[in-house]
Amino acid sequence: MAGHKITVVIAQHQGKNPAKRELEEELAARLLMEPDFDCSLVPHLYDMSHDHTGMLFLRSVPGDVVLLSWLYPRAAFWTLDRAGVTGKFGHTLLVPEDDDEIDSEDAPPEPTGRESNRTITCIDLRNESDPEAYLDEIRRIAGESAVETVDLMSWIGGDPKKEQLERYLKPANNGSNGNGHQSVDASAEPVQLFDVTDEMAKRRWYPVIDYDRCTNCMECIDFCLFGVYGVDNVDTILVEQQDNCKKGCPACSRVCPENAIIFPNHKTAAIAGADGEVAGLKIDLSKLFGGEEKDPLAMAVAERDAELVADGRDAVGMAVGIPKRQTETVTAARDELDDLIDGLDDLDL
Amino acid sequence: MSDDLVFMMGNYEAHVPGDRRYAKNHVWLLPEGEGFRVGFTAYSVRLLQDVYFLDWTIDPGTTVREKQEIGEVESSKALSTLYAPSAGTVVGFNEKLLEDPTAINTDGYGEGWLYEFTTDETFLSPPEYVEVLDAGWDDTQRHLKGQVN
Repeated sequence: MAGHKITVVIAQHQGKNPAKRELEEELAARLLMEPDFDCSLVPHLYDMSHDHTGMLFLRSVPGDVVLLSWLYPRAAFWTLDRAGVTGKFGHTLLVPEDDDEIDSEDAPPEPTGRESNRTITCIDLRNESDPEAYLDEIRRIAGESAVETVDLMSWIGGDPKKEQLERYLKPANNGSNGNGHQSVDASAEPVQLFDVTDEMAKRRWYPVIDYDRCTNCMECIDFCLFGVYGVDNVDTILVEQQDNCKKGCPACSRVCPENAIIFPNHKTAAIAGADGEVAGLKIDLSKLFGGEEKDPLAMAVAERDAELVADGRDAVGMAVGIPKRQTETVTAARDELDDLIDGLDDLDL
Repeated sequence: MSDDLVFMMGNYEAHVPGDRRYAKNHVWLLPEGEGFRVGFTAYSVRLLQDVYFLDWTIDPGTTVREKQEIGEVESSKALSTLYAPSAGTVVGFNEKLLEDPTAINTDGYGEGWLYEFTTDETFLSPPEYVEVLDAGWDDTQRHLKGQVN
């Protein structure tokens, strides 16, 4: 498929872990050698502001995208969606090694993403430390993409004008998707690097809604007392005031009956957007360091009360916005624990 | 250091230096100026293994209750909320670790200190902390295994 390039974007890790940086750099170096891929490096996906050049670039890419990030694929996909980078959910075969037994009965529904002509495939960089594994997977995805999107070839292969891009990015329905998408002028310059050396001032914290799962039940908007959530003109829930969100507080995610609210950086895999994939599911040592165990609703209420008090407001306990239905407030892939077993082996217990 | 105590975690020697005090939630406290420097004990670090990410959820200068949540740690093997060892004030954080937390693993009793803390509470002596480790070791193993089953 001459002329058709797939766009590969590496979103960097927040920290400066040398091993992670090395994998990012190694991948970038190898991808640059591949004639069929356009490779770009952007800062951490979740922390980039709406008008960051990296985000502008992502919005300007018309065709298929492979995004490599340190987030769960669902978290990365819906974070992009929130930023106005929308597409079909691309399924990667590069998943954690010990993922086998999950595929059976308990597997959650497959994510689909948006109705779209293009596919966004997000790959978790925590899956593999060998860059070649990612290159193989990107080649596979590129192969599939070349077959599936043949009708788009001329368009993608060409050099769309800005107005065309705008039209593509801002479809007739006004470009509004519940995640708060607003189109912004995007430069289509083929830049490779986006302010990755310029450390972003602060880490951000806000919920990302998985619209594959969200049933618009409104429990989050009832529960959150900080005005984070709102609805659009057709009453679809959206994250309206993300900066009202309280850093570290995942309470709304705990009360969401569909586990549709993702905090990509939360320590609990299920809240961070794990999806049957439990690469990040780790031992919780909180009890060792002085914590107490609570059920999710009690945790959510306690977290909310702590934030209310910190704001100089009164704690409300269970009195406000408690889900009417309290079954299944926990959704967590808590069974697949091979990596924990591995961890224990290492401990020589 | 001849005054180090050692607690055996299976085959691993967790050192407990004699020059400082300890809290039950597995941090050490070394007198420094008006207060203490606080860090993870070798026991904590062994369970955490390589620390990837450290995040504080309170601001420097915050007065805290015992067991109040103050931050989070993510490592190769574990995730945990971090809690105040006692009532007191968290004066400031080791900023270097926020950039790169590897010192927690490479020099946990020195450069890997976490935060500065002032408090009127008293803490455990090294032998007392080793007793706590002894008494809790079976429970800790059960707790870890309990998360596996």
